[in-house]
Amino acid sequence: MTFIKVENLRKQFDPPRGIVAVDGLSFHMDEGEIYSLLGPNGAGKTTTISMLSCLLRPSGGDARVGGHSVREHPQAAKELIGVVPQDIALYPELSARENLVFWGKMYGLSGAALRRRVGEVLEIIDLTERQDERIEKYSGGMKRRVNIGVALLHEPRALYLDEPTVGIDPQSRRSILDVILQFRDRGMTILYTTHYMAEAQELSDRIGIMDHGRMLAEGTHEELVKIVGEEAHVELTVDRHLEQLATAWREMDGVARVTVEEERAILLVPDATVTLPRLFETAAAVQARINEVNVTEPDLEMVFLHLTGRALRD
Amino acid sequence: MSRIWAIAFKDLRTNFRTPVAIVWMLAAPLALASLLGLAFGGGEGYSIAVTKVAVVNLDEGAAAEQGGGRQNLGDEMLAVLRSTDLSTLLTVEVVASEAEARSRVDAGATPVALIIPPGFSAAVLSATGGGEPVTVYRNPAQTLGPSILQGVVQQVVDQFNGARAAAAAAVHFGMRQGRDEASLSQAATTAAAAFMSEALSGASGAIAFRDPQVVETDSKEPGVTAVVLSGMMVFFMFIAAANVARTILDEDFAGTLPRLFTTPTSRGVILAGKYTSVFLTVLAQAVILLLAGWLLFRIQWGNPWAVALLTLDGAAVSAGIAVFLVSILRTPAQAGGVSSGVFVTLALLGGNFVGTAQVGGVFGTVRRFTPNGWLLEAWDATMRGAGASDITVPLLVVLGFALATFGTGVLLFRRRYA
Ligand SMILES: Nc1ncnc2c1ncn2[C@@H]1O[C@H](COP(=O)(O)OP(=O)(O)OP(=O)(O)O)[C@@H](O)[C@H]1O
Ligand SMILES: [Mg+2]
Repeated sequence: MTFIKVENLRKQFDPPRGIVAVDGLSFHMDEGEIYSLLGPNGAGKTTTISMLSCLLRPSGGDARVGGHSVREHPQAAKELIGVVPQDIALYPELSARENLVFWGKMYGLSGAALRRRVGEVLEIIDLTERQDERIEKYSGGMKRRVNIGVALLHEPRALYLDEPTVGIDPQSRRSILDVILQFRDRGMTILYTTHYMAEAQELSDRIGIMDHGRMLAEGTHEELVKIVGEEAHVELTVDRHLEQLATAWREMDGVARVTVEEERAILLVPDATVTLPRLFETAAAVQARINEVNVTEPDLEMVFLHLTGRALRD
Repeated sequence: MSRIWAIAFKDLRTNFRTPVAIVWMLAAPLALASLLGLAFGGGEGYSIAVTKVAVVNLDEGAAAEQGGGRQNLGDEMLAVLRSTDLSTLLTVEVVASEAEARSRVDAGATPVALIIPPGFSAAVLSATGGGEPVTVYRNPAQTLGPSILQGVVQQVVDQFNGARAAAAAAVHFGMRQGRDEASLSQAATTAAAAFMSEALSGASGAIAFRDPQVVETDSKEPGVTAVVLSGMMVFFMFIAAANVARTILDEDFAGTLPRLFTTPTSRGVILAGKYTSVFLTVLAQAVILLLAGWLLFRIQWGNPWAVALLTLDGAAVSAGIAVFLVSILRTPAQAGGVSSGVFVTLALLGGNFVGTAQVGGVFGTVRRFTPNGWLLEAWDATMRGAGASDITVPLLVVLGFALATFGTGVLLFRRRYA
């Protein structure tokens, strides 16, 4: 069942001349699924989340959260969602518990229910023992966990997480990903944005690839990867005769495509194990030496490269 | 409603956990109060330069026959001024004539002169009073020394008058007993003299010479400290309000304000919570200043109801203006610069730095366009003894300013974060 439906959503900052950050975006999320928006800096991920959070008013189109339009009934939509902002938004002078209590009140909790939920959330984010320390004394990972905890207080039906794992140690990242999976298993609908393909791949039921405010492709990881085919991506660094070699490789069976970039050749090969030894043989024949080989199985990075001609990140 | 309190309470806690904020809201006004105390006399431990007083005593004394001998109250006054209690504050220089006393002041040799008129004793000791008043002739550019002298003289005269009143009461009582008038007047003089010497013998230590605000006999003229402190208080309330309101911009910057907007709590409630925290902070600050003025400088602020209403009104308008300013500014840095500019301008126009509400002409008209001008006017009236009902107009005008600024602020704020 569809829980969130985004239709032709558009946002222009400072109209009429300002930048169009989201440009006719449409997608939907089923109840209980993790949907990741993947895209480079400035793709419009945060702007999209802000509109779905009723924080920014769309310039065009609409989105429905649990059936409530974010334009017409933002209040009702807000009751259903928990938002984890990209940048940590907490009161550093207050302790974790004080922060949770305050935000709980803002979500309309009070009294015993509030105390119970704050206790539960502290358990979930694993900060029960340090709950009375001021946030400003916490590590980056601990702050990120509190940042997420705040959005869980009112047991929302949907959770938006905007790059929740940026700049933290692997251990904290792991525990955050585990919390997210745990909530998905309880039926929560989760919208996730990230730069990290590996995260998107591991977590997501479905992934939308965004660039310049538009949806480029959408589907499960397998579906997306099929866009670039089944081929592995082989990168070879050669000491001499690169052009000559490239021409020879292009004519070989089992090589789909060859591109040359400075010292390197990038090949798409359907079956790397069979083809690789033959690539070395050809090189030996022209007395060139292969200094470095890199074989990558198809991934989202390649999908993005394929779709836009640019790398997803840096 | 409970969410408004939650926001206000959170703000108060975060604000008061940062040392800078505490300095601004409490330490700065208190330091200011102490500085004023240092300049105008006040609590223990302050050293004040000794003031020279030129005194001419023209009093011939009056007979107090039944009690024996003559009483010269002019001499008594001189003795008080020369007493060791006052030696750290005043030195007396006796001169021969009134003209000489005045010329000492005019020439700048002494900041103040005291002229005890002929017939002073007679006037005080008679049952009916009257006669020429004691004159304090002062250099208008000087404030501290003359104020102290005036305070002391006032105390002494009050005691004399108290004695006379008691004597008059005794005479009145005697007349109803059927005594003849001549002997009654005799009795009155004797009684007055007796009261007087009793009062004087026990009194000099009790003279409250530390209260420079006691200056004239009948009208309650507020002292320098009181006037300056009230002006500064109004000014500092504005500043503190702007500082607290700035946390709205800080929160916008830090992301907690946008995050608040993603919760089901409405924007009106969020702003009301912010307003409440500003209001309570400024109120606390005003109360502390009023208490400091009262305890450290013995300032009589006036009728408690008027004082309470004025304080609330002042906090309301400070918070309203602060919210309005924040609604039109973008960054915390901008808020700092612009709001200081606005408040200093308002303070200049409204007369916070002039130190008196009794200004006429163009200035008197201009200040009516500023809320602080109205506040100061009302404070001045209150310190002169006005009650709450006497300052209804300024109270309402200031309340109008508060509502208008807060209302406009809310509208602009809504539009800005639409
Ligand atoms: N308040 C704003 N005013 C004007 N332009 C904005 C504003 N917020 C974002 N933008 C612009 O909109 C575009 C999309 O920004 P957005 O933050 O949505 O990207 P993002 O995908 O979240 O990027 P990142 O991965 O860096 O977080 C960017 O070009 C950005 O500069
Ligand atoms: Mg972003």
